Amino acid sequence: MNQTQTNQADKMHTELDPTAIDHILATEEHLIPTSGFLASVMERVREEATAPPPIPFPWKRAIPGITLLTGTLGWGAFALVRHGLPAASELSLTPPHLTAAFDQSLEQAAWVALALGVSLFSWLLSKRLAGRSGLL
Amino acid sequence: MSYPAERHELAAASHNPPEKTAQADPDLADIARVLAGDVQAFEGIVRRWQGPLINMAWRYCRDRGRAEELAQEAFLRAWRGLAQWRRESSFSTWLFALAANVFRSDLRRFPAVDLPLEAAPEPSAAALQHHALAAQLNAESVRRAVLALPRRYREPVVLFYFHEMDVAAAARTMRLPEGTVKARLSRARALLRKRFPHLEAQHEEMEFGALNTGKEA
Repeated sequence: MNQTQTNQADKMHTELDPTAIDHILATEEHLIPTSGFLASVMERVREEATAPPPIPFPWKRAIPGITLLTGTLGWGAFALVRHGLPAASELSLTPPHLTAAFDQSLEQAAWVALALGVSLFSWLLSKRLAGRSGLL
Repeated sequence: MSYPAERHELAAASHNPPEKTAQADPDLADIARVLAGDVQAFEGIVRRWQGPLINMAWRYCRDRGRAEELAQEAFLRAWRGLAQWRRESSFSTWLFALAANVFRSDLRRFPAVDLPLEAAPEPSAAALQHHALAAQLNAESVRRAVLALPRRYREPVVLFYFHEMDVAAAARTMRLPEGTVKARLSRARALLRKRFPHLEAQHEEMEFGALNTGKEA
């Protein structure tokens, strides 16, 4: 028995006691690649090599537009908060006793929505962490 | 399996100057040519590693056509990411880890076997009358049952036997500590033994029989 075989046998005995299952899984027959495999891989590699590089996003042209859009939306939101909300709070279409009940149920709904959001976030986070660690 | 992984480990571990190593190692020479813009040089890499990668993919899915597709995808990823190989590990380690990632993510989307381990098929009793056929059926059942193992136990088994029972190589491919791989391997083997208790009994009987025959001879 040569050194490699001895090492292999030693490894099997020390790391894991060899069993019938070991024997079966270690004696897997080996596939030989089909004749066209190499050509097929090289064809795809050549396709990738000759394909033009992806067009980069035109940041230089887009930045003024994005800045303008962000500014407009920001200004709109600011104006809405400054003028719109006080006006809306002054406007009441429902009687006062109904408004109080509505506010209470709205508050409860907000808490429920918040709880659901936190649950969803923690579920997604745990799934992601478990996926990374190979638990799933 | 005869693949040149050990040769690459030695090449990576040696302290030869880069030019000398590139001359001695065909992979390094081909990689240098590919990075210099010679697409054709990648053919050498595919030629040398197509067998190991297809066999590795086969162990993940046990479907010949799909194994070749997965191996092709792994080669394409290797082609795209060749410049990112930092030579901290050997080329074979990098390639196997990349391939394992490709196979893992593909099989996560389209599982090869969607059976619980308990539902994995077992050979019928009638077949046991014929030793050769029974052995063949047993072997195939066990190999298929590996795919029905929970995901965290399946991959260590696949890679451990692919790497000729080398825990360190399997751990490097999975980028996990050796202890974790050993623990998962041990659990996986326990699950398989529980699923196929008769195999161990048969194995012991056969070994006992062989010993007796040897003594008589």
